[in-house]
Formats: sequence, C-alpha cells, structure tokens
Amino acid sequence: MSIPLPLFIAVPLIIAFVLPMFGRKGKAVATALANMVTISLLVFAVASIGKTEVYEIGKWSIPLGINLVLDGLSSLLLLAINVVAAAAMLFSIKYMEQYTAKTKYLSLFLLMVAGMNGVVLSGDIFNLFVFLEIASLASYALVGFGCDHEELEASFKYMVLGSIASVFILFAIALIYGNTGTLNMAYISKAIQNSGLNAGLTFALAMFMAGFGLKAALVPFHAWLPDAHPSAPAPISAMLSGVLIKALGVYSLARIIFNVFGVSVAVGWVLITLGVLSMVVGVFLAVGQWDFKRLLAYHSISQMGYVILGLGIGALILANNGKVEWAAMAILGGMFHLVNHAVFKSLLFLTSGSVEMSTGTRQLKELGGLAEKLPFTRATCTVASASIAGIPPFNGFWSKMILVIASVQAGFLWLAAVTVIVSLVTLISFLKIQRYVFLGELPENLRQTKENKGFMLIAMVFLACLCLLMGSLVLVPGLKESILEPAVKVLTDGLNYSANIIPKL
Amino acid sequence: MKEMNILYISVFLPLIVGFLMLFLPNKIKSVSRALTFIISVVTFVLGIKIFTGGESDYILPILQLGESLGGLELELMLTVKPLGAFILMFAMGFGLLITLYSLKSVGANTKRINEYYGAILLTIGGTAGILLSDHLLFLLVFWEIVTVSLYILITTGGNKSNFAATKSFAMIGASDAAFMLGVFMIWKLSGTFVISNIDLATNSTLSIIAFLLLMTAAITKAGALPLHTWVPTSGEYAPVSAMALLPAAIDKLLGIYLLVIVVREIFDIQPGALTVVLSIIGSATIVIAVMVAMVQHNLKKLLSYHAISQVGYMILGIATCTPVGIAGGIFHMLNNAIYKCCLFLCGGAVEQASGTAELDKLGGLGNKMSITFTTCLIAALSISGIPPLNGFVSKWMIYQGVIKMGTQQTGGTAGFWPIWLTCAMFGSALTLASFVKLIHSIFLSRLPDKLKDVKEVSPFMTVPMVVLASLCVFFGVFYHVPLKLFIYPALGIEPGSAIFGTWMSGLSTILLIIGIGLGLLIWLFAKLSKNVRIVPTWTCGEVQSNESMRIPGTHFYKTVSRMSGLKQLYSGQEKGYFDPYDQGGKAGLGLTAFLKWLHSGVLPVYLTWVVLGLLIIIFVICKVQ
Repeated sequence: MSIPLPLFIAVPLIIAFVLPMFGRKGKAVATALANMVTISLLVFAVASIGKTEVYEIGKWSIPLGINLVLDGLSSLLLLAINVVAAAAMLFSIKYMEQYTAKTKYLSLFLLMVAGMNGVVLSGDIFNLFVFLEIASLASYALVGFGCDHEELEASFKYMVLGSIASVFILFAIALIYGNTGTLNMAYISKAIQNSGLNAGLTFALAMFMAGFGLKAALVPFHAWLPDAHPSAPAPISAMLSGVLIKALGVYSLARIIFNVFGVSVAVGWVLITLGVLSMVVGVFLAVGQWDFKRLLAYHSISQMGYVILGLGIGALILANNGKVEWAAMAILGGMFHLVNHAVFKSLLFLTSGSVEMSTGTRQLKELGGLAEKLPFTRATCTVASASIAGIPPFNGFWSKMILVIASVQAGFLWLAAVTVIVSLVTLISFLKIQRYVFLGELPENLRQTKENKGFMLIAMVFLACLCLLMGSLVLVPGLKESILEPAVKVLTDGLNYSANIIPKL
Repeated sequence: MKEMNILYISVFLPLIVGFLMLFLPNKIKSVSRALTFIISVVTFVLGIKIFTGGESDYILPILQLGESLGGLELELMLTVKPLGAFILMFAMGFGLLITLYSLKSVGANTKRINEYYGAILLTIGGTAGILLSDHLLFLLVFWEIVTVSLYILITTGGNKSNFAATKSFAMIGASDAAFMLGVFMIWKLSGTFVISNIDLATNSTLSIIAFLLLMTAAITKAGALPLHTWVPTSGEYAPVSAMALLPAAIDKLLGIYLLVIVVREIFDIQPGALTVVLSIIGSATIVIAVMVAMVQHNLKKLLSYHAISQVGYMILGIATCTPVGIAGGIFHMLNNAIYKCCLFLCGGAVEQASGTAELDKLGGLGNKMSITFTTCLIAALSISGIPPLNGFVSKWMIYQGVIKMGTQQTGGTAGFWPIWLTCAMFGSALTLASFVKLIHSIFLSRLPDKLKDVKEVSPFMTVPMVVLASLCVFFGVFYHVPLKLFIYPALGIEPGSAIFGTWMSGLSTILLIIGIGLGLLIWLFAKLSKNVRIVPTWTCGEVQSNESMRIPGTHFYKTVSRMSGLKQLYSGQEKGYFDPYDQGGKAGLGLTAFLKWLHSGVLPVYLTWVVLGLLIIIFVICKVQ
C-alpha cells in the first residue's frame, strides 16, 4: 500500500485548524484527536520506509507544478519527526494540563509537525521555505507559550534571529531563481551541472549555509537556542531539540549542499569547522549550567556538531574524489547520530519535564535524591544519559564509534581526538545531572514528590526502549539496508539526485 | 561446540541478567540476591572449566557495514589465552566470595539493592569479556561496562557517595577516552583490531603516543599515581564490599592485565625511555602512596592508599623487562588482589560490627572478633612482605627482577636500578609501619566503652575472609604451586629461567613455627611459675575513665606529617593540589566561565556573531571556488 505523500502535510494542517474550535469544553476530544493524528502519521512514516516516490500535486507536471519527493533521506527524517512527535504528544496529554488554552497548544503543535513534514518532503526550494516558515512561526509561538517574562524574551530573541535566517534563505532563493530560472531542486541541480557555479550562486550557497546553519543552531549561529529551548514547555523542548533543528537545519543544509550545489573542498572544511566549533563550545557551556533544561539545550548544539562533522568529512572526501565508501561511512555516522539524537534528546527533555512537574523546579541545586521518589523518570533519564554519553550498548555509542572510526580512516586523527574528548565532557555533564538530581540528599521540601504515571510514563518508556534498541539499525542486516543505507546513498550520490528524481531530464 | 558455549555464557549470562536486574523494582530483593549468588557460582565453575579446558575461541559477528559503507566489520572474538584464563578464574572466584559476603553485609543501609547486585553481575560479565576478548574494540566495550558498574556500585553507598561516584566515573571515563584514542591509533598503524595480530614497534611518534594512551588507561584502572585519586575518594564512601571487589581486586587484575598485554603483545617494549617512565611511575606510586597512607585516620581510606601503593610494585616488576620481574609483577597482582580484598572485607566487618571506620574510635576488638583479627593480621603481614606469606614471595621476585635488570641490561632504566630497589624496599618497610598502626588501633589498644557489645560478624562474611587468608598462607609457603600452575604458563616462561635465590620457604616456615612455639613455651612457663603478681595500675586513688586511658594509634606517625617540607606536601595533598580531577575541573570551569561571559544575552551581540559568521562563510566559499 502506498501512502499519498500529501497526507503527511494535509492531515496535521487541516486538523490544526479544526482543533481551536473545540474550545475549553472539548479539550479532551481535541487531545484525543491530536494524538490520533500524530500516531497515524507515525504509522504512515513507518509504512513509507524504503520507498522512493515523486508526487506531482494536482497532476501539474514539473517544473510547472509543485512536487513532493520521498527518498531515503526524507523517509529517515520523516521517521524521526513522527516518532518524536507521537511521543511528545502523548506526554502532552497530562503535562499540558498545567497550562491554559490547551487546544491552541495542540493546534500549534500540529502546525509545527505539518511544517517539518513539508520541509523534508518538498521537492522545490520555495515550498521548502514556506514549510520552514510554518514550522518556525509555530515554534516561535510555542516557545513563548507560558507567557512569562523570560519565555517571552526568549521567544522574541528566537524570532528575531530566526527571521534573519529566513531572510538569508529567501534572499538565496531569489538569487537562485534569478540565475537558473527555476525553483525545483532537481532542475536547479541540473542547471548548475550544465553551466557551473557563478558568483551569484556561490553567494547564494553561502547565504544558505548561514541561514540553515542558524536553524540548526551551529556555532556561531546558535545564540537563540539556549534561551528558546528551555523556555518552551517540555514536550515542545523535546520537539525543538529533538527534530526541529534537524529537519529545518541539518536536513535542508545536507539536501542543498550534497544534492543541489554539489560538494566542494571549501564547503567540506566550512562544515567541519562549524561542526567542531559547535561540539566544543556547546559541550563546555553545557557542563557549567545549573538549569536542567538549559544544560540539555547546550548539548543539542554540541550534538548537532557531531552530525555536521560527519557530513563535513563525507563532503570533503567526496570533493577530493576520495573513496566513496569512506565518505559513506562518515555520513552514516552523522545520519545515525542524527536519528539517535532525536530519540535520546527528546527523551531527556521529557524526563526534565517530568522532574519539573513533580518538584516544581529545574534548578539542579534545589534538587537531589530523587532516585527513590521518581524511579521510572530516573531509569529513563539514565538510559538517555548513557546514550548521549556514548556508553555501550546504547545507541549513541554506535553512532559515535562509527563517526570516530570514519574520521580515523579518513586520516583525521585530531578530529577523532576532539570527538572523544567532547564525548568525555558530555559524560561528565550527565554525571552532574545524576549527581544533583537523582543521587545525594533529598531536600526537605521534596519529601512528598510523586512519580508521574500514565501517558507521560508510556512516552518516556517508549523512547527509552528505542534508545536501547536503535543500535540494531546498524547491527541487524535487514534494518540497516532499509533505513540508514538509502539515506546515506542519497547524499553520496550527490548530484545524481536530479537524474534519480526526474529520469527524463 | 561445547567449548564455545562456555565462553559465550560466562560473558553474556551475567551481563544480561545484571542489566535487567538494574531495572527491577526495589520490592523484589530476595530474587536478585539468590540470582546473583547462583550466577556467580556458575561463572566461577565456568572460569575453572575455561582455565582447565585449554585454548579455544568463539567468534560472533557484530557489526558488518557492507562494501558501500566502508566495509567495516567488527567481530566479537572470545579467545582463551593462558594469561587471561588464569586471571579469569581468580576474578570469578573474587566475584563469588564478594557475593557471599554481600549477602549479609549489604542490606539495611542500601536502598537500591537490586542496582547493587545488578552491578556486581555486570562487573563479573564485563571482567570475563575483557579477559577473553581478543578484539581491542570489544575489550574497550567490556572495559567501559566495568567502569559503569563501578559507578553504580559506588552510588549505592549512601547519600554522600554521589561525589565519589562522579569523580571515579569522570577519571576512569577520561582514561577510557584515552584508551579509545589509543585503540584507534593502533588500528591506523596496524590495520587490525585483533590483539594476536598486532605487533608494533615503538619507533614512531604515533606509536609512542598510542602506547602512552593505553598505559594511561591501564594505570588509571589499576590506580597508580598520578591518576589514583579516585580510589581513596571512593574508598571513603562506597560500600566496602564494592571496594573489595573492584578497586582492591578486579580493577587491579584488569589494569595490570592490560598493561602486560600492551607491553608484551601489542607493542614490543624494549628497555628504553618508555620503561624509565614505567619505573618512575611504579616507584613513585610505591613511596608516595604509602607515605600518604601512614597518616590516614580513616580505616577505609588507609586501605585505599595501600591499594594504590601496591600497584607500584606490579608496574615496577613489569618495567624491568626481565622474566623474573614480570612473573613477580603478575604474581604480586594476584597476591595483592587476595590480601587487599581480605583487608577490605575485614575492614567492612569491623565497620559493620562497630558502626565506625574512624581509627581513633576503634580499639581492643581482638578478643571480640577473633576471626576477623586473625585474618586481618595475616593479610596485613602479607601486604607488608613478611616471610613466609605470599606478599613476601612476589616482592622478593620483583626485587630480584630489579637487580637482574641492573646487572644484565644496559641503558634505559637499568642504570638507575639502585633507586628503584631502594624505593621498593623502603615502601615495604613503611607499609609494615602503617599496618602496625592499623592493627594496634583496631584490635589491640584498649576497648572503648561504646564497643563493649561488639560481636563477631556472621559466617557469610567470615568465610570469604578465612578463604582469602588461607590463600595468603598457601601461596606463600607453597609458592611453587601457583607459579608453576598459573604464572609461568601464562607468560610462556620456562620454569628454570626465572628461578630465584636460595629462599626455601619450607625450611623457614618450620623455623618460624619453632620460634613461635618456643616463645609460647616461655610465656607458658612464666605464667605457670606464679611468681608474678598482677594488680591494677596505681593511679594515686584517682579514678580514671576508660576513655582517658586509651592510646589510639592514629598519632603514631604524626611526626612524619609535621616534618618541615613534608608538612607542606601533606597539606597540599589534603587540599587536592595534586589531584588531576580537581585541577582538570578547574581548567574546564575556567573555559566554561569564559564562554559564559561571551554569551551576554544581549541580542545585538548575537546578531553581530551571525553577520560575522555569514561574512566568513561567504569569504571562504567564494574565495576558494
């Protein structure tokens, strides 16, 4: 059975506009409906694994019409987005009872999901931008959802910086349209192959890298993230850190660089530099934080660095006409880390939400000794921490190991060293979480703390099991070929993208 | 087929069960106890079978990236080798003894009891994995599993243990990172992860760095200077059985095992600059750690520092590059694990019976806890190198190795052999001195009023202590047996080539026994002659309280710590000036503070970064293309 691609966008978009009509009384119905949407999207995403499809909207043939493209990379991202969305939505059922206007929250949530699904499916660059704006605007609103002073400030900062990124991207799109006369990515790619890069296109590429780099929160474009991600309600933090920065930032960056413009040595080095900077700066800022969610947010910057590093090494090898297998391995490391990060980071944010809901605070210094009070939160948080710190046999270990082996193989021993050292600092900062939140002396005022049960627990346990089992994505032969390998192949194929999508070109 | 299953089961049965046990709810306590006990018995039996069964191997493909993804293939290779197999057997034995001990000692105070037993099983399985693995990457994986289980074990030691656990994990984690880098460098140099196929010379910068990285991992796990500081910190707060299992026994076995593998199999280390490094680390560890141990007031901390000091002997033995020295080093590793484990268990028994581990609150327990006293005395004499116990034999072999190195080798570390020998012997004397203090403070001095009702601990706890103490005696008197059975085959040494001196343990044991017998006779004679009148001490009629008449041993060596020169060093050590964890932490926090200062939270600043970043990217991309 083949799922019509527009469903990924249309279903959440339509339901998002229906939900606010339920008002305060229909809150329960609205919640159930929203959950049904996210869960069915997850089912769609699983069903679309391993397929390559081009859907022409309204049967208008490209380049006149708009097309949606599903390939290995898109389906990997779709899977990540919808897994995290389903878990975060499940978590929201109880968690969002603390806030007023739950239906508006649900509606914004679905808008964001629709935007992200649109970004990864869109086959032309202007629609990518439109969906990116839908997701971004929804996220600006969601960051400020609590309407406290700090949240509004964070939202404002995020909006200003995010809009600047959008301007960069839009400007770059205009340059591309001016130079190639088309907005369809396959056609752009073909045009660039035929006539080569001119100054305008190169400038556009640089604008894209800065714009998507900001969406992906790479250092030095990261400054909005540590304010925005902790301010949002926990499930939204999970969505933002878990998938938004990847779908809007990393995915778009990878698609544009590898499939549209083609890799070059300079781009490879820029990516590696951005990756290393993000890894190092992010992790050292994280380890000094005393706010639970802020610490996690800085780690998102650092972990995005790993992904970009993998892509950068791959791009550099491809640009130097090195061994494609080595490039593939580096990209595999990056892509695998991307999906792993989606799972463990969203789980970490959910557990931070659970701790905050039970205790009313997220300051590490005010917490302590919760291991016995919150056994499930602790267990799931520990699993996620072990994953992000790269402790075997959890998923983070495998992706980091592949990344390190790939960089050693490509001759970058110093990159391997940086990766390992950053991983160590990551470990130390999660030991800090364990030490101050779950171990040690239980403060007097937290004696009555109760564990969160029900849907919140299900969401956390679901993600924790994924953390444990996702190693099989590379270890089990069948799974590897159907999920990760196609995604890597899309990127290593590079400019053949256009020929794969539109054979007649 | 059957052989394969043994290897596989002995690694994965404890690992899987232990992992699941971590998540068991706290209410089901007896299940985890029983299960841990059964599995530790099973693995011990399997350990013996593996040792007696001879060489075999088992290969399990784990990760196979096809040709299109770089063609990386990783296989879990479990191979029985003589060295690993004999250490495995003893490690499993320690696992069993500690489990037995824990049945009584861990309970009332430990809230997360399932995590404790789960971590014990993870330790057992991870240790088996390390000792059997012939693939460096999987050795590293098992190595990390043991690190994690140490962390979990320390966290079960009560509310204050969280700092110690964090410190231990951070320091060993750092050495694991070094290990990982070293492994990848070796892979880069030799193209394989399989230990049996690697044979590198230390002639390039890269290989020397790789050697140093692996050495760092080994000595951190074993707890040698300067990366030892996690041992005393965790010693203070961790459950004592956990200390006896990991830092005292298994971590030593593993660290020294890795060092031997690195020195003998992966690299071919010849006497030279690198052995000088090893010798310096070894000698410094012996002397400095024992100097610190002497002035400790806490029983567990004192034992921890001795656990560090003894590692120095093993490293020194290996650094000699002579057969007798290396054999001595390995034998000392085994002996140390036995008596140090026994000492920690005795310490645990004392702590449990009396409720404190502070030396100046203890005293006079010799009569109350006679089994603990006897076993502790044997182990203490053994660690101090008193003949005919096992500690003496292995130290004697190491001294011989050092002398032999000095007389047979030229260059490298050999020229300095008198220094190494002096350090080793001096360290041994100081060890005896500090155990005199320990035995006096706990068992001999006057009994404090508070401890009037102390009773001997349960047989579950005394049996392991007695077993270990008997091993101390047996391995000392009949030292030929373990050497012939375990050590020589493990190292491939011809028994004739490493034979030493004219030490006849049998004769001297008999002489010693005769001497003690004569002493007893004299004592009995004096007692029976009844010419001695025993009366209470005359205090001019003033009533002295029991407490004011006690002389605790904690001040025995106060003069040492007050000596000028040493005094500053001691106080610096107390404040953590020489602790890489503290200093590294400060450096890291400095960097963090700088980065935080950059992140002022002012929007225009952030906008400037974005614009600057864009400009640089434009410049780089446009310029190059």
